[in-house]
Amino acid sequence: MAEFIGNAFADAYRRFLDGVVRFVPNLLTAILILIIGLIVAGVVRLVLARILRWMRVDRLAARVGAPDMLRKGGVTEPISSLAARIVAWITGIGFAILSLYALDVPTVEHLLERFLLYLPNLFVASLILYFGYLIGQFAARAALIAAVNAGSRVSGLIARFVKATVLVLALSMALEQLGIGNQTVIIAFAILLGGFVLALAIAFGLGGKEIARDYLRKRIRGGKDDDDFHHV
Amino acid sequence: MSDPPPQERTSAERPSLDEAVEERIAEIGDADIVLGVPSYNNASTIGHVVRALLAGLAKYFPDQRAVLVNSDGGSSDGTRDVVLASNIDDRESILITHPSGPIASFSLPYHGIPGKGSAFRTIFAIAKALHAKGCAVVDSDLRSITPEWVELLLKPVLSGRFDYVAPLYRRHKYDGTITNSIVYPMTRALFGKRIRQPIGGDFGFSGDLAAFYLSKDVWESDVARYGIDIWMTITAVANGFRVCQSYLGAKIHDPKDPGADLSAMLHQVIGSTIELMGTYPQVWSKVHASEPIPTFGFPYAVGLEPVAVNLERMLDRFQLGLQELGSLWATYLPETVMEALEEARSAPAERFTIPDPVWVEIVYRLAGAYHQRTMNREHLLKSFTPLYIGKTASFVIEAAEMDADEVERRLESLCETYETMKPSLLANWE
Repeated sequence: MAEFIGNAFADAYRRFLDGVVRFVPNLLTAILILIIGLIVAGVVRLVLARILRWMRVDRLAARVGAPDMLRKGGVTEPISSLAARIVAWITGIGFAILSLYALDVPTVEHLLERFLLYLPNLFVASLILYFGYLIGQFAARAALIAAVNAGSRVSGLIARFVKATVLVLALSMALEQLGIGNQTVIIAFAILLGGFVLALAIAFGLGGKEIARDYLRKRIRGGKDDDDFHHV
Repeated sequence: MSDPPPQERTSAERPSLDEAVEERIAEIGDADIVLGVPSYNNASTIGHVVRALLAGLAKYFPDQRAVLVNSDGGSSDGTRDVVLASNIDDRESILITHPSGPIASFSLPYHGIPGKGSAFRTIFAIAKALHAKGCAVVDSDLRSITPEWVELLLKPVLSGRFDYVAPLYRRHKYDGTITNSIVYPMTRALFGKRIRQPIGGDFGFSGDLAAFYLSKDVWESDVARYGIDIWMTITAVANGFRVCQSYLGAKIHDPKDPGADLSAMLHQVIGSTIELMGTYPQVWSKVHASEPIPTFGFPYAVGLEPVAVNLERMLDRFQLGLQELGSLWATYLPETVMEALEEARSAPAERFTIPDPVWVEIVYRLAGAYHQRTMNREHLLKSFTPLYIGKTASFVIEAAEMDADEVERRLESLCETYETMKPSLLANWE
């Protein structure tokens, strides 16, 4: 009996040691890949930033208004440096994934596979959110300027409403992309927006009928403005 | 005439005209004079304009072969029928000599972006096709046009001494505020020519200049809309064409279109001006002073219709703009200007003022920001509207008791500020 128990322990210990012996090289390989990856990413970042600066990418980007667009999104870094950093991150992540594969652990591989399959969704969702934010900012500013030029006392409110609408729309699209509460989000958004628009329509209909009548009269019958002078 | 700057795009082709128009042009062959009238729903005024032009041709150019072109934007009120039916009813009362032949008239719809610029393009095309020596264009909503305008706009060109004739009017002191506070002083400071009405709308020009205009590839931009007037003037000046102005008397329009959007107008006029600065930097950056240009016609005092101004609403618009768009303006205006604007806001209405140096700094910074693309250009120009309204209100308050001559002296002082501060523009530009 004691011999049986002893053999069982020895067997388990041997298997454990075998496992460790098999795993350690994989672990060392993984660590090595990770370290190499980090070094490569760092070098890529430095070299790419220099190349992009040499190619005057920042000046080119400024001409098409890209820094302005990024500034609105809170990014103040030059395009050359930002692009180099993104490429470095992608390189680093690529090496990190490679190093995890090198561990040769089925569970990790399975998780990695699922993660890799989900990655495009994450990427698309973050793109949707980022562009949603930019479009929201842009549309809000356009609405603010138009409302101020029309003399609206609630210009700020109109701009905030426009921005919130675009952001909520972008958020619901991003969540749908991630597969989180697909139908619930869409229905909730539709109810919210529909309800808000209906409330606004009723509010404007009741409260602004005089304004609407004056506006239409001016437009259709060509009523006179308060100022008579020609600007040009 | 100097060669056009290399960065300006050119197009050798003239726009295609309808087959019937081409046939008519072939029938006519050549013409000495082409008169153009752009229109859009101007049936109530265009008859008077066309009669004045026909009378002017018959009276001052009876021996010249002339063609009248109405380039219409799709009027639905019978504008084109009015043009074709218009004739001089009482020839004997205005003519001593009779014209040698009938004056051919065209009334045709133009193609392209709806706007005055597209209408002009068609007129240029017909002028080129007819090998016209001299051309003139006038607005179709004028109530003060007389046959003498034809002579005043065409004579300097047909004499061979000038290529471009700008108008000079007597206007109400509150009329033409974009011209007075921005376009005239800025054109003058930029190109050194004192063209008092660079966007007057009624111009005379040579056939060569019409062909030159037509060769430019600008017809998909704001030039096709309100930007055409400043584009014609600056293109003529910057390319070394000989420029003069003619005193035409009063400029009285039909009541303005209530649907006309001020911010769109500002966007097109100022946007076109700054775009042109970008086209000709090598020309304007070397100009350090201005000079008068030859002026024709006999200046006389005219009675002008009173102009209603709602000052309270203008101040309200400026204050609303500062409150809501102040942070946007602060992205391209210096702190000192923002402080001056805040000071103006807190002043009582009767003492509201935007001083000239502050205003000129605003306009020059706007030009720089537009050129540097510090923000979306449409937003930049449209958000400028409350500032412009503020300056207009400031001028209305200041000029309340001034007569026409005092107002001109006041504008002269503004122009000098524009010229003195030009180094600031140069500094902001690059």
